[in-house]
Amino acid sequence: MKRISLPERPDWRARAAELGFTFADMGGAPYWDESSAYRFTLRQIEDDIEDPSTELHAMIREAVGRAAQSEEWLTRMAIPRPFWDFIAQSWRAGEPELYGRMDLSYDGTGPAKLLEYNADTPTSLYESASFQWLWLEEQQAAGVLGPETDQFNAIHEALVARWAEITAEGEDIHFAAFKENPEDYATVEALAWAAREAGLGAHFTDLPQIGLTDQGQLADSESRVIGTLFKLYPWEDMLRDEFAPQLQPSGTRFIEPPWKALVSNKAILPLLWEMFPGHPNLLPAFREEDVADALSGGSPAPSVARAFEAATDALSRGYVTKPIFSREGAGVTIYESGAETERAPDDDYTQHAMIVQALAKLPQMGGAYPVIGAWIVGERCAGMGVREDESPITHNLSRFKPHYIED
Amino acid sequence: MTKIAKPPQPSQPQDAASTATAGRPRKRAQRTALLLAGSAVLALAACREEQTEAAAFPDEASCIAAAQAGSLFFTEADCRAQFAAAQQEHLETAPRYASRELCEQEHGAGACGADPAATGQQGGGSIFMPLLMGYMIGSMLGGRGGVTQQPLVRNASGGFSNPSGRASFATNAGAGRVAQGTFTRGPTTMGQPAMTQAQVAQRGGFGASNTSRGGAGRSVGG
Repeated sequence: MKRISLPERPDWRARAAELGFTFADMGGAPYWDESSAYRFTLRQIEDDIEDPSTELHAMIREAVGRAAQSEEWLTRMAIPRPFWDFIAQSWRAGEPELYGRMDLSYDGTGPAKLLEYNADTPTSLYESASFQWLWLEEQQAAGVLGPETDQFNAIHEALVARWAEITAEGEDIHFAAFKENPEDYATVEALAWAAREAGLGAHFTDLPQIGLTDQGQLADSESRVIGTLFKLYPWEDMLRDEFAPQLQPSGTRFIEPPWKALVSNKAILPLLWEMFPGHPNLLPAFREEDVADALSGGSPAPSVARAFEAATDALSRGYVTKPIFSREGAGVTIYESGAETERAPDDDYTQHAMIVQALAKLPQMGGAYPVIGAWIVGERCAGMGVREDESPITHNLSRFKPHYIED
Repeated sequence: MTKIAKPPQPSQPQDAASTATAGRPRKRAQRTALLLAGSAVLALAACREEQTEAAAFPDEASCIAAAQAGSLFFTEADCRAQFAAAQQEHLETAPRYASRELCEQEHGAGACGADPAATGQQGGGSIFMPLLMGYMIGSMLGGRGGVTQQPLVRNASGGFSNPSGRASFATNAGAGRVAQGTFTRGPTTMGQPAMTQAQVAQRGGFGASNTSRGGAGRSVGG
């Protein structure tokens, strides 16, 4: 894994504009940044990213199976009690998942470490599946990259196949997101094209325009009943909105399924560590409530005492605290040797329960901190995107960087 | 009906040399969808594409009479087969209402009847649906040379619609060209289906919570 400076395609901004990729620049700074790219070996991709991510997903499914029937973990994950059954039902019924993105800390050597899994509303899909793909094709055509180079990016084809697998032929799918947010909208449109390629009807509806019929079903902005709803909107919010009590009685099929509320929730990280202690791709993780005293010289909760002791060395080198609900790095604080060294500027989420996770520092390359986004489609890892930030905490103004494979 | 852009063709690699890295499987897709066309295109999905020949009749007999006159794209046998199909599809896909008043509100006085599929079930007789007011025959595209149909029911504005309500006409007797999507079978309504027109009682019940966002307009993703 190396950060390589490369000539930019001279016309990429015009290409982006022509394709509708309107957020290639955000807040005056480039979001899509191809002035350099990350180069990986095939072995790094397959052995360190792809296979471990697929394995992590399988482990996470096991953890969901446990959390879904544990009142203790449902409480710890702050799932409102009226929806426990809704979530457990969706798991028991085997409702299939569509996609997700694991954020991994990886520097080219050693096992990648799972930082968190946005398995509910991951964005940057268009950049990963499409614009990055085009970059490789065009850079090869321009001779900037050799014909032997490749990219870990089977995302679009995997999505088409997954849609076909989990739906009835010709089924109508509604896609809901906030219309005015181009980043969210692009992710939804990338999914919708894949759905259409799979022969499905794809219809967009602005999320706040969703209505409730007099029969208790959900309806789109044109008052058509919604049978299957893909929503780019977090489950933790769905379960707290005004329509929350209508979700289950509406009979709507939701994608991602309700049990994803347990996956995107960072409280799953301590559960994973409890179930798979010492797994090479996991970091020691605890609920802050259980270890806050211990971190300041007291003792941990008895239930995690042994695990905490085993992790003492790692934690005393460094750890991170983060809220169970947060996106884009918000509310994250880094401690090294017991002292705070980095705090995300945005702490909107810190009213929620927190977790403590051993620190896996992002590597520093060319002055930037890259984080790997491993895309899961269905139950397998199907591609990758790299984002980098000036800060060791990747946040919502990070840059998207293309990658390529060359041995 | 508006003609809208077709989905973008999936993109293909630009040169053959890039399609395979010698001796090992390639890690990237052969194609992807590159265009972000905008929400208007996705919102208008489905029914506004190619036009096809169509003819509407209030009943089977008037269809047969037209076929005997011999100027159209279908035969007497088509009239009979498609009428039977329309009756069945009407039964399966016509909108259902909890009361006759509600049904008549949407379809006009005298245009509704009890749901025959609901009799015998618990609460049978309490479900109402618009009566079949004729049918529409269309020629199928794609070189199959066949015909297809849609049942017609009354709509609130005094005209006629197909059961899904996506296509509306002033009359149930006439011929012309309509969007092919007009002949897309509506979803089954027995047991509360997807994609039928519905009476929306309330909107805006999603989007207010902010456990994970700093403010309006900010991405939910990460």
